[in-house]
Amino acid sequence: MHGSRSDAALLAAIGERDLAAMRVLYDRHAAWLSVRLTRRCNDCDAVADAVQDTFVAVWRKPQGFRGDGDVAAWLWGIAIRRLVSRLRSHREVMARFEMMDATLVPAAEDQVLLSVEYGDIGQALARLSPEMRAVIQAVVLDGLTAKEAARLLDMPVGSVKTRLSRAKAHLRAALAEGLP
Amino acid sequence: MTSWHVDEMALRRWIGRSDSLADSASVEQHLLWCDQCRERVNAAVTGRPAPGVVDLGDMWSQIRDAVELPRPSVFERLLQRAGLPAHDAKLVAVASAFRGKWLAGVTGVLTFVALAAAVGHSRGVWLFLAVAPLVPCIAVAFSYDPKVDPALEPELVTPYPALRLVLLRTVAILAMALPAVALFGLFVPGRAPYTWLLPAVGCVAAVLALSTWTSSLRAAVAVSAVWLVVVWSLVAQAGSPDVVLHARFQIGYLVLAVTSTVIFLVRGRHVREFRPRRR
Amino acid sequence: MTPSISLRGVGRRFGAAWALADVNLDLAPGVTGLLGPNGAGKTTLLRLLATALSPTRGQVCVLGLDPAVPAERTGIRRRLGYLPQEIGFPRGFSAFAFVDYIAVLKEWTQPAVRHAEVRRVLDLVDLGGISTKRIRAMSGGQRRRLALAQALLGSPPVLILDEPTAGVDPEQRAALRNVLAELARTSIVVLSTHQTEDVAALCERVIVLDCGRVRYNGQVTELVGRAAGRVWLADAPDVAASASWRTGTGRYRNVAEHARAGVEHVEPSLEDAYLLLRGGTRPDSGDVREVLS
Repeated sequence: MHGSRSDAALLAAIGERDLAAMRVLYDRHAAWLSVRLTRRCNDCDAVADAVQDTFVAVWRKPQGFRGDGDVAAWLWGIAIRRLVSRLRSHREVMARFEMMDATLVPAAEDQVLLSVEYGDIGQALARLSPEMRAVIQAVVLDGLTAKEAARLLDMPVGSVKTRLSRAKAHLRAALAEGLP
Repeated sequence: MTSWHVDEMALRRWIGRSDSLADSASVEQHLLWCDQCRERVNAAVTGRPAPGVVDLGDMWSQIRDAVELPRPSVFERLLQRAGLPAHDAKLVAVASAFRGKWLAGVTGVLTFVALAAAVGHSRGVWLFLAVAPLVPCIAVAFSYDPKVDPALEPELVTPYPALRLVLLRTVAILAMALPAVALFGLFVPGRAPYTWLLPAVGCVAAVLALSTWTSSLRAAVAVSAVWLVVVWSLVAQAGSPDVVLHARFQIGYLVLAVTSTVIFLVRGRHVREFRPRRR
Repeated sequence: MTPSISLRGVGRRFGAAWALADVNLDLAPGVTGLLGPNGAGKTTLLRLLATALSPTRGQVCVLGLDPAVPAERTGIRRRLGYLPQEIGFPRGFSAFAFVDYIAVLKEWTQPAVRHAEVRRVLDLVDLGGISTKRIRAMSGGQRRRLALAQALLGSPPVLILDEPTAGVDPEQRAALRNVLAELARTSIVVLSTHQTEDVAALCERVIVLDCGRVRYNGQVTELVGRAAGRVWLADAPDVAASASWRTGTGRYRNVAEHARAGVEHVEPSLEDAYLLLRGGTRPDSGDVREVLS
């Protein structure tokens, strides 16, 4: 009965204190949220806590979703911020630049896919330093503020801002370079 | 949207964290709006508990507990801190007497009475002396009376020892009500506030003892009526309210408290009998 | 040893009136229905069985224990589930919180085990999905199911239910019947109801009470058999019948003591047999007066 409902419909049911609907939402989203969070911070417990906090927060205030965009994006916004605040309180294992291994180069077939999705940005990104890539991911892709990114990456806010502007400059140059 | 989906290899590399930033960004953006690929992630991750990977089943149990389990009230946590086991604290706290509205009502009455005592001099003091010992009585009556405690009938036939329940609730109420009345007593000129402690305990014990014969609400009403008559007649005779707290009467209150407690403990098994209204 | 309940010469008086008089019963595992008009003494009998009341006269024996002895009474209560006719819920509680509270009173002290049991009984009555809903926000039928859930804690050997299906819609009632049938394989289940369909569908045995006395105690099939040949359909109410009422098809169903020939006989139902027994008053009427035939 629940399986065919849209995420928004599930949220409405959750507003009516329907625990079964919450379970369906969990089954749909917990897996990818966990994996994506683990890529930002390899501390399993912090990730588990963040995902749990996210769903409890959804239970308490399902009307926080304003109906704009995907429910998945809204869930990610809550989840990454919960992770960041957890890290602030624990200060243990944090996102490490080593995860973005500079030596890994995408295989040939994927190059083609990438150029379909991102054009030359893929190659340009691959040439950035690990710290700059981390900053781009946190600020541009995950939607964090400079302050939140600073907490996640364990670096001062100033460094985040300088690295971000340098990264953007590099990317602009690389893309300009790539144009025929 | 397009019918493009992430291919198996790319998905596995994403889960295994072995792809580049650009690839992962691509997958992650796609997952934000594709339910099918999200399900594929779910299938890949479920049923493979390993160190370093989150346990989805365990996480759900934690979430369900956080959402479903009733959170202990402030009062419950206080009781637990005082040494009471968690389940006993829960039982004591459920009693009607501990509800906010009731507490607010009692506070209101006491404030009024204390003000009257402070302002109205001897008349006010009389009023305070008459009312103060009754407050814990009524609190005890409310905490387990059938008409007031709505869940009584199923509670009635549970194996939990009734005596223990009533005593726990009474002690908890006394621990709360007595200091409250003492606080208000500070505003009353004349005798030290603690001298009415014995009358209060005596009245409470009498209510408990009487409740082995009739309902606790009726017992509280009877004891209140008797107390008010006693206070009125004593004051009318002697002219000053202080006489009620005189030493020779204190012994009387002590005797009342002790005998009532003995009666209550002896007849304890009658506490849990159902007394339906006559049809 | 199979669990059993027995009553010998049991009577209960309130003031001057005897709500129950001279009741002799033996109950074994299975579902026993309790039928009778309002004021017949059904609730009093159930309260007696549930150890909420003590008898004025006679002996009660539940699972080999005597409820008059306090220690044995506690022993009975450990193996008992009771659903009262009217139930009030503590203010501000959710469904889960309420069943959890009763579970604590039933001596489930370990939180993890207790919570698992609470979830189990809530799922049995199909309230698992709304366990966090405030009771005051629930419908009458949902509250009734919640009240039943607390009685089911621990799958007790003795289950006493006072009108368990009151206000519950038909699908839920069917689900409840399954739950009770499952439990009745090893437990003694006694339920009172105004609906003869519930008794017919669920109970092997039925007890009919009237004015505090047992009018019938035996198999449902046997009681129904008594009405064989005494029920017929006609286009108009029959004056010679003990009872006669208009059915949904527009025809009249007639029940009479003496079998009549030359009329359109139909298969008797439990309700017909009950009416015959009571001399023509329908079970859901509050009336105790006899209808003269």
